[in-house]
Amino acid sequence: MVRLKSRYLLCEVCVSDRSNLLLLDDRAIYTATKAAVARAHGDYGAALSSLGFSVKYLNAHTGIVFLRCRKSHYRLIWSALPFIASLENRGQRVPCFLNCLHVGGTIRTCQKYLVRYNTQQLHRMLPFCQSEAERSEIRKSLLSCTLKKEADDVDEEEDD
Amino acid sequence: MRRADIKDEPATYERLVYKNTSVYHYMRISLVLENENTRLSAAQLKQLIVSGLRDLYGEVGSAFPFDLLKFDARALTGVLRVYNSGLVKLWSALTLLGSYQNERCSFRVTQVSPFLLTLSGNSRELELELD
Repeated sequence: MVRLKSRYLLCEVCVSDRSNLLLLDDRAIYTATKAAVARAHGDYGAALSSLGFSVKYLNAHTGIVFLRCRKSHYRLIWSALPFIASLENRGQRVPCFLNCLHVGGTIRTCQKYLVRYNTQQLHRMLPFCQSEAERSEIRKSLLSCTLKKEADDVDEEEDD
Repeated sequence: MRRADIKDEPATYERLVYKNTSVYHYMRISLVLENENTRLSAAQLKQLIVSGLRDLYGEVGSAFPFDLLKFDARALTGVLRVYNSGLVKLWSALTLLGSYQNERCSFRVTQVSPFLLTLSGNSRELELELD
């Protein structure tokens, strides 16, 4: 069998005010990415990358985005991502930047990476706890998570 | 069937292989404008080509070097020099360029060669002196 291979770009949306994240939707990310590709790579690049390009997943609470594109031209989108400076939704501009964490061949590998990345972040941030009460609070909320490993956004929420 | 006057001795030929070809390609182009009275300078021509490149390939794709070696402002012809890697991009951008200052125009690519010497003569413009 022959299949069309894809690349999934796992990105995180970095904003200064995290409440702004809830304004985002996948349409805003889609248009901003297309505009950035069109500016960096012109009509040719925009047309090439629009084949099979979609926003697969957006977690508005944690700002995690999955972008799907064809394997042959993922570099066009990849290289245009740093040029996104703001996302616009219903007339509101959210200044932000997209940080590409991982490029994977399947959603599954990206998800695995995300879980690993979030654990890493958690380990990095735990020493910054101010008091013992705060530390035990985090520990309690972590242990109270009943979701299985598929729900990668649970431990993500803890790290901020 | 074999004609009697052709001898069947093997044709002698010399095979010339140029291994280290030039890093550049040279193109002779001519610009056709709708209004023939429009004049433009060499800098304006280069600006026009760069803007065409930017439309098609964007800011990243159009950032490759090319030079306008010679420009004849009267006949609107010129010679471009471009690295081999940028040849296809430059050529396609020239083909798809359609307007100069809201005036329709088109580029004709007359000759393309890796050797500048080739552009010195064009057999298509050769006028034979017939008696």
